[in-house]
Amino acid sequence: MRNSLLIAFRELKERWDNRSFRAMLFLGPLLILSLIYLVLESGNQGVTSMKVLIADPTNLFENKIASRPSESVTYFFYDDYIEFESFKNSPKFKEFDALIELNEKVLINKKVFLFHRQEPNLQLKMKLKFEVERRMEEVMIEQFTTLGVDDFRKIKQPLNIDFRNVDDPYNQADQGIAWVGYSLGYLMIFFIAIFGTNITKSINREKTNRISEVILASVKARELMLGKIFGNLIASFLQLFIWLLLVGIGLWLLQAVIIPELFTPEHLTGVQVSDQQLKELGMQTISQENNNLDLIYHRINYLWVIPNFILFFLGTYWIFASFFTIMGAMSGDESDGQQFLIPIWILLTLTIFAGYNTLSYPESDLTQFFSFFPWTSGMVSMIKITVGVTVTEYLGILFAWLIQVLVGTIFMLLAARIFKHGILSYSHRFSVKLFFDWLKK
Amino acid sequence: MIEVKGVSKFYSQKKALDEVSLNIEAGRIFGLIGPNGAGKTTLIRILNQIIEPSAGQVLIGGILLNPLHVKAFGYLPEERGLYREMKVLDHLIFLASIRGLYHQDAQKAAKHWLEKFEIMPWSKKRIDSLSKGMAQKIQFIGSILHDPQVVILDEPLSGFDPLNIQLILNEIKAMKEGGKTIIFSTHNMNSVDEICDEVGLINHGKLVAHDKVSALKTQHKTGAFKVRYKGNQIAFANALWTGFELVSTEEIGDQWFQSVIRSRQGQTFNDVFSSLSPALELHLIEEQLPGMQDVFLKLVTDSTP
Repeated sequence: MRNSLLIAFRELKERWDNRSFRAMLFLGPLLILSLIYLVLESGNQGVTSMKVLIADPTNLFENKIASRPSESVTYFFYDDYIEFESFKNSPKFKEFDALIELNEKVLINKKVFLFHRQEPNLQLKMKLKFEVERRMEEVMIEQFTTLGVDDFRKIKQPLNIDFRNVDDPYNQADQGIAWVGYSLGYLMIFFIAIFGTNITKSINREKTNRISEVILASVKARELMLGKIFGNLIASFLQLFIWLLLVGIGLWLLQAVIIPELFTPEHLTGVQVSDQQLKELGMQTISQENNNLDLIYHRINYLWVIPNFILFFLGTYWIFASFFTIMGAMSGDESDGQQFLIPIWILLTLTIFAGYNTLSYPESDLTQFFSFFPWTSGMVSMIKITVGVTVTEYLGILFAWLIQVLVGTIFMLLAARIFKHGILSYSHRFSVKLFFDWLKK
Repeated sequence: MIEVKGVSKFYSQKKALDEVSLNIEAGRIFGLIGPNGAGKTTLIRILNQIIEPSAGQVLIGGILLNPLHVKAFGYLPEERGLYREMKVLDHLIFLASIRGLYHQDAQKAAKHWLEKFEIMPWSKKRIDSLSKGMAQKIQFIGSILHDPQVVILDEPLSGFDPLNIQLILNEIKAMKEGGKTIIFSTHNMNSVDEICDEVGLINHGKLVAHDKVSALKTQHKTGAFKVRYKGNQIAFANALWTGFELVSTEEIGDQWFQSVIRSRQGQTFNDVFSSLSPALELHLIEEQLPGMQDVFLKLVTDSTP
């Protein structure tokens, strides 16, 4: 074990002494943060003006809403119920971009649905919410109380406006959080590809410069192999840890120091309101109106996702590392090594496909297969864990991890047999016969 | 003492070593010689525990060779390499550490050897910036840094210039004087002549000869004597009579000759002296023993099927 650690730390030092490794420690998080910034900004995309039809069968609003006409929103009233399908398909309503339903229970349950054909941008969303809420206040004060506006706002419950797309009225297509899982799975595969390739390269380099014989006179082939695998694992964890730390700090800095305006109510609503007014309007969680902002800062349970990410990173690295080791040991020189990586890249690509398949068809048989197939289960599990799982489902995921570790260990034992013979063989031509010869010995 | 007992090694259908048995006394320089592909590297790898024998065993001081012996062995392989991107001192410390030395001891030993070989100023340089000769010195230091009791050197002199060859040979002799056992594999028979106490010759996986260098030379002597004398060549030829064959004669001065003769019936030095001294003024009689090059050629030729 001591020897494996010595070799691991030598590998780590070799990575650390590499300038590109050190540069990527800082450039990587910078790129990720830039990407996050773009995602946050893209959360504010959408149409900027709308013709909104308010279906008000009880004439609650009395055909009144905003006190001043606006360029971005034009309201029309309809004094009857409108079936959702009718609004969606009838030529009669085609000219309207959105429908607000004010049913008879709205004063009690404080919930209003807004069905839009195209997603309004954030400012427009907040303007709609703001104006409907204000009119609702006026109606409630008129009908139920003698309080003034200021006093009423202190005691009232905020209105909940639910924005739905007419093509997805039940909001089934909200895959944002699943995409986070997919991105984490992708990050996992990305690191495994980079550091796994380093294992193969490192073995090839030692064969090319003939140092392996010197090392094997001091340590067992198995110790050398494990040292290489652990060394690259530590290097990848070091990089990953620094990336997570820097991205975490970066996210905090984005919110607190660098672009706090992105998170302010004014930026989000386009309306000059005080914090007190926003609070009274129930908009204290205003960043939730930006889906991506909400996703990154509120909906991801990092304390749950990160430990699971580490768990599956280890399992997936373990199973792929055995392959990278076999490829390094089998190859006669460095150019051979490049060719032998192609099958592993195909397997890594399959993992990416498995993730995409899980996003598109989460309940399909193929997804079920990928959930337990050891090379793809890490990716599928990350998506499931990020979206949320029941205890039973999580037990299934842990079972998939166990399969991954077991199969990885079997392959690692096979890799050790190949490595033992391959590491001392130079400049040979790969053959299937050689592979089985080494495996049998 | 190293005892190799009936060691065989098979690679698929090929027998690389065939029941090799030999003893190597402690504090000796043992020359392991043989033609290319004879099985020397296989035996060396077995001694270094890089590979395991298919049959037989190796005992070190009566104890079966095991991983605890790793620290007692130093190894400079023929196909040697270095981590080219590492710094000299770091590289040496790493090699000593995997042989069991603690970091501080490894550092101390590395500095000692770097100073001894006058390459201390390069200790912080990357290995790929060193000259070939300097890199080879680093490889040699790497094999002895942990002060092993047994040092296995496979072609340690290849690639060195004459000055460095002498430096390495002197170090090998010094290690022997320090009580270490050296297994020295080479194709350079002059160096075997110069430093080895014993040799083992392997051909086609079999141990063909195993003896002291002097004994092997004696076993293969041809009965030739070098004779330097003053006098008449006819008198010299008459004195030889039928017991000796004249191989060559060279005139080295006025009536002064040097000849090589070969005995026909196993005559000794005394026989030569008693035959020639009555007729000539003798200046030198020296028995001509074969060099290890000749012994090697003879043994390999005789043992090749």
